Amino acid sequence: MPDWLKLVRQRLNGLALHSSERDAVHTELAAHLEDAYESLLGKGMSESEAAKRTLCLANDWQELQRKIHSARMRKDIMTNRVTQLWLPGLLTFALSMISMELAQKFGPAPHILSLDKGTPILMFYTAWLFVLPVAGAIGAYLAKRAGGSRRMMLLSSIFPVLPFAVVFMVAGPVGLAMGHGLVPAAYLTMTIGWVLAPGVALLAGGFLVQLISLRGSTDRTLSMR
Amino acid sequence: MIGSGIKRGTAELAVLSVLHDGPLHGYELARRIEQQTNGALRFTLAALYPMLYRMEQQRWIRGTWETSANGRRRRCYRLTPAGKKKLTPLQREWAELFHALQRLTKVSHA
Repeated sequence: MPDWLKLVRQRLNGLALHSSERDAVHTELAAHLEDAYESLLGKGMSESEAAKRTLCLANDWQELQRKIHSARMRKDIMTNRVTQLWLPGLLTFALSMISMELAQKFGPAPHILSLDKGTPILMFYTAWLFVLPVAGAIGAYLAKRAGGSRRMMLLSSIFPVLPFAVVFMVAGPVGLAMGHGLVPAAYLTMTIGWVLAPGVALLAGGFLVQLISLRGSTDRTLSMR
Repeated sequence: MIGSGIKRGTAELAVLSVLHDGPLHGYELARRIEQQTNGALRFTLAALYPMLYRMEQQRWIRGTWETSANGRRRRCYRLTPAGKKKLTPLQREWAELFHALQRLTKVSHA
């Protein structure tokens, strides 16, 4: 009997998947060919004819390899997005919200910025801003640990301000354009308070992790030379 | 010429329908479909497995490795609750399409 597993491994040796996943695909396809071959033998076909007919099930190995790779990679992309962006990002978001709550309850009084009429516009919780780099660093670290790129690390670290950024980028200009009484100075102050200041704090933590990981990889490269 | 969307749709319906009767491994699945459609639907490896992997990602089916009495390892696919939920509207959509086509061909023959 032909060694179907060996044959599949040879024909699909360019299948660019993780080794365990590639082995599983090879084993599964080889089992299919083996079953087909035995079924044909059972029908009274000669070994050579059965082998020939079985091979017709995979007449284009390149196409098979390409299709399997494409189908499997889609899964990888989805899985990667979850582990490299959504989970670290949501955790960073949760950490920043919890720390905000704690800063409001137990931290020092906030710095209040106001417009010329004296109406409080923005409250800066400095204690919160000092905690945010830690949250950003954790987000970036988790994204990196899941194999995320530098972009994923940065996005994970600034994840908590992204919803606010979108709201301010869309709602603010629309409100200003429609003349809904939104004062440009207030819009600017709110953008600084809700997006820019926390964003910079989060990004500081994310950058720090990037720098450390970059230095670590440079050290490893040098030691390999 | 039948478009790839229609081909994929019929193949997915065939897989879900056959797995509705019970779990099967790849070869047995292809054989059952071929038998039950009198050879109208035949799968090459390139048609069957990428589709099974995609359907698995969509969580319509789930594949698990099983070892038979003779020690052979086979990956068995079974329908998930999501797959069962998908099957009913898919069957209805295809039935409607075939009825519509039948009516159309009857009218054109009349």
